[in-house]
Amino acid sequence: MPRTQRAIVGLVCAVVVVALLAALPHHYGRTNTFLWAQALYIGIAAMGLNLLTGYNGQVSIGHGAFFGIGAYTTALLMQQHGWQFLPTLLVAAPLCFVVGIAIGFPALRVKGLYLALVTLGLAVVFPDLTKHYVHVTGGTNLVSLDSQRLVPPAWVPTSVSAIGRDDQWAYYVTLACTIVLFTVLVLLVRGRFGRSLIAVRDHEAAAQTAGINVAFVKVLAFALSALYAGVAGSCSVLILTQASADKVQTFQLSIEFLVAVVIGGTATVVGPLLGGALVVFVQNAISNTLPKHVSSTGMVGRVVANPAASPAIFGILLILFVFVLPDGLAGGARRLRSSGRARFGRARPAPAPT
Amino acid sequence: MKLRIVTLFVVAVLVAAACGSSRKTSSSTAPGGNTTGPGGTSKVVDTSKCPAGNDSVGVNGNTITIGTSLPESGVYGAFIAIEQGERAFFQYQNAAGGVEIAGKRYQINLVDKDDQYIASKTVTNVQSLIDDSKVFALFNTVGTKNNLAIRNLVDTQCVPDLLIASGAVQWGNTQYPWMLGSELVPYPLEMRAFVDYLKQKKPNATIALLKASDDFGQSYQEALEAMVKGTGLKIVQTQSYDSEGATVAPQVTSLAATHADAFVIGAALLACPAALNAMGAAGWHPITYMSGTCVSKLLFSAGGKNSDNVISVTPLLDPADPANASSPAMQLYKAQMKKYQPKADPTDGIVAYGWSTGALFAHILESSPAATRSAVMETARTLKAASGVGLQLPGSAWSTSASDWFLGEDFRLIQYSVSGAHTNPIGPLIDDSGKTAALSPTSLLHS
Amino acid sequence: MSLFLTQLMNGIGNGAVYASLALALVLIFRSTGILNFAQGEMALYSTYLVWFFTARNFPVWIAILIAMAISFVGGALIERVVIRPVERASPLVLVIVTIGMFLALNSITQVQFGADAKQLPRAYPGKTWLPGNVQISADTLVLVGVLVAECVLLYLLLQRTRLGLAVRSVASNPESSQLLGIPVGTMLMLGWALAAALGALAGALAIPASQPALSGASMQSILVFSFAAAALGGFDSTLGAVVGGLIVGVAESLTTQYIHPLHDIVLVVPFGLILLVLLVRPSGLFGTRRVERV
Repeated sequence: MPRTQRAIVGLVCAVVVVALLAALPHHYGRTNTFLWAQALYIGIAAMGLNLLTGYNGQVSIGHGAFFGIGAYTTALLMQQHGWQFLPTLLVAAPLCFVVGIAIGFPALRVKGLYLALVTLGLAVVFPDLTKHYVHVTGGTNLVSLDSQRLVPPAWVPTSVSAIGRDDQWAYYVTLACTIVLFTVLVLLVRGRFGRSLIAVRDHEAAAQTAGINVAFVKVLAFALSALYAGVAGSCSVLILTQASADKVQTFQLSIEFLVAVVIGGTATVVGPLLGGALVVFVQNAISNTLPKHVSSTGMVGRVVANPAASPAIFGILLILFVFVLPDGLAGGARRLRSSGRARFGRARPAPAPT
Repeated sequence: MKLRIVTLFVVAVLVAAACGSSRKTSSSTAPGGNTTGPGGTSKVVDTSKCPAGNDSVGVNGNTITIGTSLPESGVYGAFIAIEQGERAFFQYQNAAGGVEIAGKRYQINLVDKDDQYIASKTVTNVQSLIDDSKVFALFNTVGTKNNLAIRNLVDTQCVPDLLIASGAVQWGNTQYPWMLGSELVPYPLEMRAFVDYLKQKKPNATIALLKASDDFGQSYQEALEAMVKGTGLKIVQTQSYDSEGATVAPQVTSLAATHADAFVIGAALLACPAALNAMGAAGWHPITYMSGTCVSKLLFSAGGKNSDNVISVTPLLDPADPANASSPAMQLYKAQMKKYQPKADPTDGIVAYGWSTGALFAHILESSPAATRSAVMETARTLKAASGVGLQLPGSAWSTSASDWFLGEDFRLIQYSVSGAHTNPIGPLIDDSGKTAALSPTSLLHS
Repeated sequence: MSLFLTQLMNGIGNGAVYASLALALVLIFRSTGILNFAQGEMALYSTYLVWFFTARNFPVWIAILIAMAISFVGGALIERVVIRPVERASPLVLVIVTIGMFLALNSITQVQFGADAKQLPRAYPGKTWLPGNVQISADTLVLVGVLVAECVLLYLLLQRTRLGLAVRSVASNPESSQLLGIPVGTMLMLGWALAAALGALAGALAIPASQPALSGASMQSILVFSFAAAALGGFDSTLGAVVGGLIVGVAESLTTQYIHPLHDIVLVVPFGLILLVLLVRPSGLFGTRRVERV
């Protein structure tokens, strides 16, 4: 397909997807709208992590901490200082970017799995820091938002299609953030910066020789991924009506981002969004649709009906998934397409030589 | 390439859409509701700002659906023992005809959701319990932060968050009338009882305190500091530990070096026996008090011989104490546990707590003049001397009122005996009705 | 002074636990280049096996031996069934696989053995001596003893036997080893099997010595410190794992005693240390530097 034609098809598809996503909450109750919003914000964080891990080859298992910084910034500004949601993004995003730079610099010296471990440190230390310094709701490190803080701003039409309902407002804000950040991501990775990211990932020394400022690229990738995770955290505040942190939660989030990147497809633009949706919906299905308290006969029934088994089911599904699709959903789709094209190509008569 | 991927995403969207329920929820939030009680008297629970028409949600025919969120998987999965106790009670009650409200009998349907003790998951669970399961009330949801996280949600939706499984003082915050703690003894009262005990035993005792580095630990610390003021008692050292951390041994070693006469363990779960063991290893034998949250068969036995003579509190009969075996309440509990939840261990205090809290919930429902949220919440807020509920201590009366927001203020000091593998009550029943709020840290109570 | 020495002993005891698990991590990293997030949960499962057999009146040491044997086989099976199919996949996929195992094993343990905490008997009398007011417990001595024994065993096995030579050869260059006729797959399985058995031993002795009961949470905080230990020492160095573990353990207990503001954020210390060390030596204290060719 010629470039322009491809671009048009892409654009049309994007419009269709956005239209579908925009229409979605009108067919759903609150719970499902919230679930979709959750899928979107996990997707946002995964998009950023993909920039760092997929395109630039730096593995992080600590981005739950940046998510937390974003969430706390937004929650504190809204609850303690009466800010509207959108302006808090102007603080949370740059803050995460700056913290990302501060951590990205030492990360320059540390490679591969060592970096993964340093970032793991970030994930386990962050909750302790919040417990030490944040004492808000009931004197705990939880920042719960009063319901009037969650009401959409006055300029949002309340009459038209109930966008003014708080769950829909939360959803649309997250959707808007997703669209903006997705567009930025596409522009970034399709441009010079994207090529530099990949060059640094594939061969750092060669990239250096080719005149790429390796340190700049790596630190910028780190800071951008931190920013994405931070915005995801900010959006989560509207949906979860609170910000909080403990070790299990921050570690779990960090893992979810990474899982979303890998099962969606590393170094692809749409992969992390797909992965985010999959992570959220599969986990929800496991914990909410499996039967509980059935006096089921048979061992499998009894094990599945045990609520303690849900992490096992998720873990095993995860392993099976990467066995079948090691390059993720997007990678699998790409392989499917190229094999289809190969067959299609053979069937077509060879073009006459000119 | 992009086309395929995008198509895939659209397919994913549609599949998920087909799986989900396509229910539109009403967005009408017009203020309404009544502000006067059934008898026309003024009420503790203000319903003037409640959404209209949701006062009897969760009551369908002769079934009342209630919801709970607690850790059922993950590292805190052991809390599921509470759910076994409460479920057994409701199964027993339903089989016996159900609860009777204003002359009509209802079956109780308990919907449980797993939050792994993570506050944000409690929020999504409770959103779903309210919106999808249409629960009448939340019951015995576990955890202080977990319930604080849903505080605004239950408050604006006017859903009773009843018998919260936490002895935190935050449930005494009068801005949030839709929440009520369970019969667990509020943490500051534990300190009050222990300090009174110490004043008699050793009026000039020095005290060492180990506390969790959160609001839970803070409740013990502030109450203890307030209680020792003006007495001969003295706190010589306080050490805090990270409640999600690996070890408390270094902290206890440091405390042991003070050779204090008394040791207060304001810790939770396995940190309690860990502290006892570190104390024993240091050759330190103080008069030891351990948080009431740690009163369980397992945690006492995990302390080995170091658990001997450890003091704590309980609002309930110890199911492991043979002296209680003849009590009809205990016999009923053990028989029904065996019948409905044979996998649970009935001698474990945590199961007994689940059972008793289920019984207290049924008692509140039966005392309510109507099967509506506001009537039930009002009843819970003005509970008149409930006694003989579940495994409640004989002679104890659980009550609340417009000026007293705490329920579990009747309890006894207990002392563990390693040789008997159960606790023995010491001293008479303590009635601290109405005394909790004054002892609570204001930074926790009013924020 | 006696307090300082007591805290030092506390730290060494905990450090020995971290080091034992770090050794297993290093063993797997050296043979397969994998950062095994499931190492702690593998040890957790093995330790529950020990409980399972002691609860059926097996003597503790016999129970430990049986659990080690089962873990040895289990470790080999995990390598063959779970790791082998993705061994050539990207390191990221391997991270996901071990995270999947981490989630699955923790949950399977709770489903199989019950979610309530278990009491695991000590394999030796739990005594404490107080010479000159310094507290020395049998636990600390046993933990250090086990660590030393593990090091000696590993050293003998890897450096002094033909089998060890083969394992090391596969670790350093799988392709050449294949050409030399060394069964690479078997050697990789052996690496996982050894690490699993080592984890079983570490868990069975460390948990009764350092925790009052065995629960689903038993290994997770230990694993975090063990990761810190392995990173500090250098991920491919067994000596590094031991030294790293001891440093992390001692730093933890001395911080609690002497640095009051860090009381409840003790974790800052090991990870601060890692960051400092890695800034100076990016491959850890004892790790091998990689030379990159252009």
